Amino acid sequence: MSSEVSIWSLTPGEAGYPPGLDDLDPGRRPRLRGVGDRDLLAGLDPEVTATIVGSRNASAYGLRVAERLGRDLALAGITVVSGLARGIDAAAHTGALSRGGRTIAVVAGGPDVVYPARNARLYGQILATGALVSEHPPGIAPRPGFFVERNRIMAALSAVSVIVEAALPSGSLITADNALTLGRTVGAVPGQLGVRVAEGTNELIRDGAHLIRDARDVLDLLYGVGVEPPERDDPDRPRPPKRAPAPRAGPPLGHPLARVRELVAGGCATVDRVAVDGELDSREAAVALARLELLGYVAADALGGWSATALEAPE
Amino acid sequence: MHAIARTFTLLGVDAHEVRVEADVRSGLPGFALVGLPDAAVRESRERVRAALVNSGFQFPQQRITANLAPADLRKAGPGFDLAIAAAVIAATGQLPDGALDDIALAGELALDGAIRAVPGTMAMAEAARRAGVRKIAVPAACGPEAALVAAGRVVPVERLEQLRELGTDGEPGAPQPVRPALGVNGASPPDLADLRGQPGLRRALEVAAAGGHSILISGPPGAGKSMAARRLPSILPPLGPLEVVEAAKVASACGRSVEYAVAGRRPFRSPHHTISSAGLIGGGNPPRPGEITLAHHGVLFLDELPEFNRGALEALRQPLEEGAVRLARARYSLELPCRFQLVAAANPCPCGSGPRSGQCTCDPASVRAYEAKLTGALADRIDISAVVEQPDLNSFREPGEGSAAVRDRVLAARERAQERDQGPANAELPAERIAIGAEAERLLADVGLAIGLSGRGRERTIRLARTLADLHGREQITIDDVEEALTLRRREG
Repeated sequence: MSSEVSIWSLTPGEAGYPPGLDDLDPGRRPRLRGVGDRDLLAGLDPEVTATIVGSRNASAYGLRVAERLGRDLALAGITVVSGLARGIDAAAHTGALSRGGRTIAVVAGGPDVVYPARNARLYGQILATGALVSEHPPGIAPRPGFFVERNRIMAALSAVSVIVEAALPSGSLITADNALTLGRTVGAVPGQLGVRVAEGTNELIRDGAHLIRDARDVLDLLYGVGVEPPERDDPDRPRPPKRAPAPRAGPPLGHPLARVRELVAGGCATVDRVAVDGELDSREAAVALARLELLGYVAADALGGWSATALEAPE
Repeated sequence: MHAIARTFTLLGVDAHEVRVEADVRSGLPGFALVGLPDAAVRESRERVRAALVNSGFQFPQQRITANLAPADLRKAGPGFDLAIAAAVIAATGQLPDGALDDIALAGELALDGAIRAVPGTMAMAEAARRAGVRKIAVPAACGPEAALVAAGRVVPVERLEQLRELGTDGEPGAPQPVRPALGVNGASPPDLADLRGQPGLRRALEVAAAGGHSILISGPPGAGKSMAARRLPSILPPLGPLEVVEAAKVASACGRSVEYAVAGRRPFRSPHHTISSAGLIGGGNPPRPGEITLAHHGVLFLDELPEFNRGALEALRQPLEEGAVRLARARYSLELPCRFQLVAAANPCPCGSGPRSGQCTCDPASVRAYEAKLTGALADRIDISAVVEQPDLNSFREPGEGSAAVRDRVLAARERAQERDQGPANAELPAERIAIGAEAERLLADVGLAIGLSGRGRERTIRLARTLADLHGREQITIDDVEEALTLRRREG
């Protein structure tokens, strides 16, 4: 890959060196090597940048949150920084790219080294529209110590670091530590108690990190509560739709369909649950689910577990 | 001097006749055994020599040649001991002339002359009857099971010296066939009453039992998947008279007790997921029956279905389709029966907690791969998919409905199906032979358009609807039956 991609660099003191990195101790300021869009890094304002990191072994919930954060922040014009690791990092990049947003991957090896291999496609996508940077020269394979070291770069590049999921202890918490040392803001997404990858983030919140529910919470940290991001002269910038389109309403439901629909929407995913909570016998519950599925109110997964669709019941 | 003794050898679950020819002539003393004996059969010489001497017979100080015919069939196991000993004794004139003319013998010898049980005496007795052999001497312990298929022809023998009594008044009388013992070993199969709450799972089991449908139960560990599966036999109809004989023959051939089968109990087999495909479908040389044959007329339970070796699951396809497995060997091929109901259980995802639980730490790609394995493996042979969650036990202190009541409904449904003279159970019935009304036809068409329903999915739904109508005692399939069937059916991956 190094033969086809031109590698650029940004040296401390050089014009365009990201100002956020100047906050690092002089001896720890990296010379950045990068591939992709150099202009993304040049003069990158930490105030319009958010770092999203988290566990490699993320839960489905964490992945969903990270992807949505990446997508919505990108829609708001924020540059999303992450580490190209599998799990949360990849989801955050993917979310940002899904709406044509800006995203920067700070990688542990040389900027031309695709690691992990399973993210090769994502690497290509970021290379096409974003940027990948590293403090290491091209061709250097990542080594264990590199991952911890690059966390300080991710923390320094942005004013806010959001940890989506992290176990105890974990590399993501090191990013949070780095951010605090640099006087940056740290946010964390709350997780379910008892889930290993939520322990670190829940502890961050207890220790005073900002609780992050959605992109709005991150924007509030960057611009102040309720303040809209300043409009910038960028006609290409994707804009968030003012309001999500209202869900369609379906045909009216009688008894017991209305009740069964509510139960499924409330998390009853099996015939057992619907029958017990809805005080129906198994046959009534099964028949009701089949009818609701045909009407489009509920859907079954491959095994036959139920969930509600976006279709809303009329009053 | 020369004598012939008849015996039988087991191939799979069927017996084949073998003739033991013994020739005793003067020469350097020795005992040669020919006719493709395996190691256990060759060792038979030492057992025969010791047992003969210890039973008061003379072991000839002459040249003995024993031949097992047909010579091209590989002979395995110790079951030839008794026939070899009898042939040697007869060839040395120690038995009256013609004593072995109309009798077959099978059994393993102990050095002191006692006769030990061998597997497959039921199949041997049946083969003896078919071959028109008037009597078959079997180890006394095996007498009752052999008498199941050859009443009056069986001579139970305990010791080698009893050969002298054959054909005399002292000959042991024919044993009583095995009787259906109530509560075999005091244990009755686990009862469905233990399953509390979970009405959907109970219903799925009842439908599976009523129509003979195979079922996949998925849910997190501790949700009661295998507990439910183990209770399926308790709501199945008892074995019919022919099924009893077939199931007992399999048990006998595998050296297992035939009492369960005689009591009408359906076998329940739950092999561990590390099993090889030879262990599952049968294999080896000579071939031994696998788990699916042991589950003949019963239930094969595959817990942790996706953990099973892919080859083993693939090997299940043809036997599931045909109800029999054919094993080919260089010199012959044989067919083992394996008509069983499949119950599979699986976690909903690799980590076990399930994508909906919020606890799941599986990455989506591995969940997809897992689901693909789950829905791909044997999927076209599974009719019902039941999803379970951990039940809230506090709200169900009451035991559920017991097996007896559920089994009555299942029996009534099966009788209703048989009144139609349809032959196989609903699960095996071609969908085009099931009449559904115009209204149900329209509903299925709507579902096809709105949600998508493959040809197989449609047939599966129709078969399940037929079973539901049978359970409700109706000839006509209603819209509700079809709708419930749509929810019960296993979906395409």
